[in-house]
Amino acid sequence: MQFDWTTFVLEVINFLVLVWLLKHFFYKPVLNILDARQERVRAEVARAEQLQQDAEALKAQYEARLADWNKEREQARQQLEQELAQLRAVSTENIKQSLADEEAKARVRGAAITASREAELARQAAGEAYENASAMLRRLATPELTASIVKMFQQDMKALPSAEQEALRKAAQVVESGVTVEIASAHALNDKDLSSISQSLSEVACRPINAVFKLDPELIAGLRVTVGECLLHANLAEELQFFRRQSKYA
Amino acid sequence: MNPEAIDHPVVFYLAGLPVGSTVLTTWGVMIFVVVLAMILTRSLQQTPARGQTIAEGIVATIETAMAEVLPKASVRRVLPFIATLWIFVLVANLVGLIPELHSPTRDLSTTAALAALVFASTHWFGIRSKGLRNYLKHYAEPNIILLPFHITSELTRTLALAVRLFGNMMSLEMAALLVLMIAGFLVPVPLLMLHIIEALVQAYIFGILALIYIAGAIVPNESESDATDPGSSEPAQQLPLLNHKE
Repeated sequence: MQFDWTTFVLEVINFLVLVWLLKHFFYKPVLNILDARQERVRAEVARAEQLQQDAEALKAQYEARLADWNKEREQARQQLEQELAQLRAVSTENIKQSLADEEAKARVRGAAITASREAELARQAAGEAYENASAMLRRLATPELTASIVKMFQQDMKALPSAEQEALRKAAQVVESGVTVEIASAHALNDKDLSSISQSLSEVACRPINAVFKLDPELIAGLRVTVGECLLHANLAEELQFFRRQSKYA
Repeated sequence: MNPEAIDHPVVFYLAGLPVGSTVLTTWGVMIFVVVLAMILTRSLQQTPARGQTIAEGIVATIETAMAEVLPKASVRRVLPFIATLWIFVLVANLVGLIPELHSPTRDLSTTAALAALVFASTHWFGIRSKGLRNYLKHYAEPNIILLPFHITSELTRTLALAVRLFGNMMSLEMAALLVLMIAGFLVPVPLLMLHIIEALVQAYIFGILALIYIAGAIVPNESESDATDPGSSEPAQQLPLLNHKE
């Protein structure tokens, strides 16, 4: 264990030199690069924080917009539901009205068809009734019946309304210019009946009338008098036709 | 016992001054450390290579250790001295593992020089930090009666600093030498492993004590910090370290 002052002093100098060397060639460059890196890291951290803040702001903005959008969507949905409900109600009402109209139309159409069929059936029934009645009356028709009808004709002529008498008089005036008066009968009439008929017509027409007799079995029973454009029916065929026509319009 | 193992013979004279093996070994250590530092810091980049990573790791570790004791503003100012102390003592301690070489730190002159530098730097940094008047005033606190004790403490801890490192390294080399002489070739290997641990521990102890002494001189005491700048005071749990005496 020796202590040497020279070594002591040299060691002091050596150490101080070493401190200086290391300070300039080791510590300072390394600390500078560490500081630079730390500064860079700090700047990057600040930038990252700024980016994070921006991202959070964007996120908040997006969430706000999303919330607004959801609100708007909800409002639009509610409005759409209301509109749909109104439209549904209107459509339902229209459909109901249309159905009611269609139903009424169908009902009317059905009634018309039914009425038409009923009318057709009535016509058919009337026709058949006419045919049956005609067939039965043809079997029942006799000259006596025709004579009875002639008498009834003569009585009716006396009670003929004034308007019809006037029409007959006008028709008789036309007869004078060449048109003949025709008396058609289902059965042959005797001269007495013919003269009485002519007499009755002359009285009503206020002038003498010369009639032409004609036999027409289609009349079944009774007679038909044609004075110009005026027809006087007193026969079963015409009565049946009358009933047939009436049944058509019933 | 070979006296060469203990003595430090003069190798040559430089301008009439005797230069011993300790100084030569120290120069070798210096060259090694400086060259290694220059290699590691040859091309510094923002993205560090392997060597740069090692260099940054060393400096950052030392800086972090110092930041736990010193005020932040004083770390960079004290770092070159303390870091060099750690690096130099560590390398100087490990040099003893190389055959035919001896650790410079097993020479009392070297450890005394380092302790003297720590003593001087303590006052240097203390005066720079507080000013001469305030720095000297703390010797008379809390009472002027304690002034001799403060002075004695300063001297004894410096002496202890020098003798502790010298004694540990000297005894370690002596023990290895004795075991080698008695037991043979491979037996001292565990002792050499212990040498590595001891070198690390002694370098750490020397450096941390120097750091604590400097911190004690720089950091204002509790009454001063209350009176001046409460924000700059160190945490309360570090105060016992500042009063550490060896």
